Amino acid sequence: MSISFPSTEYFEALKAQMAANEEKFRRLGFIDTTFGVSVGVNGKARNFVLEFEVFDLKNVSEVPAIDLKKVDFQIEGDSHVWREMIENIRRNGEADSAHDINTLAHFGERLKIVYDDPDGHDKLYRFMESIQEFFDLSSKLEVSFN
Amino acid sequence: MAYLSTTNFAEDKDFIDKWLYTIRTGQMDLSWMKSATEKISPEEANPRRGLTYRDLNVGTYGYTDIPEKVRNNRSYAPRGAEIPDGVPDAQPWVSRKSELWAFNTESYYEEAVSRQWNATTDIPWDRLDGVELPEVTGKALSQLMTFLTEVEMIATDTPAMWLPRLNPDFIEVRSFIAAQAMDEARHAEVFRKRALTTGWGLMQASPINEMALKHLRDADSFSEMSVALHLVAEGNVLTLFRFSEYLSPTDVDKKIFRLVMQDEARHVGYGMQHFKYVLEHFPEKREVLHAHLDEAENISFAGAAATELTEAFIILAGGGLKKENIEQGIKITTQFNLKQMQEHFERLDKCGMPERRERSKLYLMYEMGRAAAENAGIKLN
Repeated sequence: MSISFPSTEYFEALKAQMAANEEKFRRLGFIDTTFGVSVGVNGKARNFVLEFEVFDLKNVSEVPAIDLKKVDFQIEGDSHVWREMIENIRRNGEADSAHDINTLAHFGERLKIVYDDPDGHDKLYRFMESIQEFFDLSSKLEVSFN
Repeated sequence: MAYLSTTNFAEDKDFIDKWLYTIRTGQMDLSWMKSATEKISPEEANPRRGLTYRDLNVGTYGYTDIPEKVRNNRSYAPRGAEIPDGVPDAQPWVSRKSELWAFNTESYYEEAVSRQWNATTDIPWDRLDGVELPEVTGKALSQLMTFLTEVEMIATDTPAMWLPRLNPDFIEVRSFIAAQAMDEARHAEVFRKRALTTGWGLMQASPINEMALKHLRDADSFSEMSVALHLVAEGNVLTLFRFSEYLSPTDVDKKIFRLVMQDEARHVGYGMQHFKYVLEHFPEKREVLHAHLDEAENISFAGAAATELTEAFIILAGGGLKKENIEQGIKITTQFNLKQMQEHFERLDKCGMPERRERSKLYLMYEMGRAAAENAGIKLN
């Protein structure tokens, strides 16, 4: 059964995959960060807050707007960029060198990282490999796009 | 040997008699069992994480109540142990908490231990089989890796040489610094391995960058070293790693840069939290920190003149040596240089030093560079 993106169900499915791949995430180490994901759809945004603790995604919630003071950072972009990334991951089993988070967001042209606190911003890079592997778990999901 | 025992035990009759008496009679002293130390029962706050240093922050064993000036322990006695007469003075250089403490020091160490990786086995080196980069790209990549190996060797030495100078009461900071030295050694390893797998061998060492790096190594105080290394240099290198990941010609290089940036960001985090700690607890040190930054920023700016590195970046960013490649490479490399400076001042703002922009010559250079970039049609985010 396919899971629609963007949706809480999509992130819940990644959370379940993360738990199923616990050994891999234990090997990568503690991930303690809360960040936002904002997906632009037809001029509006759907916003999600992901709370990671120890080795797990502890909580996912959809919110009307993301308060940058309550998250470490936010990854935002139009739905077509997110779709391109997820489809690329599905095709390759992981993001290829043009579709990983840092590459897509580096100059803010495709995805953009926004933040209030630079220390929070740096957490994206402190936990980069875990976050990339988390999104790469999309390769194990059937995803449909709204 | 700089330190000699004050007793020649093999010629000390009383000592030898006592040793033989114990063997002969089995009589034990056991006075150590009466140590006047605190009994506690630490518990894991989160069993999934395990027993952390934070869980041990209890009573006389904790770090919260370490005084600003540690006067009662100049030995290697662990914090909270009974210190009997006769323990030698280990002559630590740093016994003031404000000189090295950072908010959340203990969790940076736990994170460091948890997120260690292995340059030999965690990088998919086999994916380089059959990869042949064009000569200019391969040589530019090797030059970048040569430079980074050089950087990481000094970045290993610098924290390591401070380790025995830190009062053992600051065990959490000492542990973090030890982990950082390991991180940097691994970085030197992975960059050397990647340089030698380009097929072009190593390229050229960098005089300007070595001059800058020597400044870090020879800092007069731990705090000066931390400002120069953790906050300024590693802040710049973190941006450089992200940029290098973006430019990486293979997914193996991307993996390398994603892993090294994790360690670097952790070191920057410690540097920021130390800087904030000093500003909040010892506002009178603000001017000293400005003086440290004056030097560190001057050295940081000098890095832009390292032709051998800048040209390698331009080639990697533009994809070659044709005119259009170079134009594109200069555009992207300029964006990166300005981003490095912008993020440096953002960090200082958040640490509680917004006035730095007005006092800093580097900020003037940033504004000058930004104006020149905009005139050249280079878009900045």
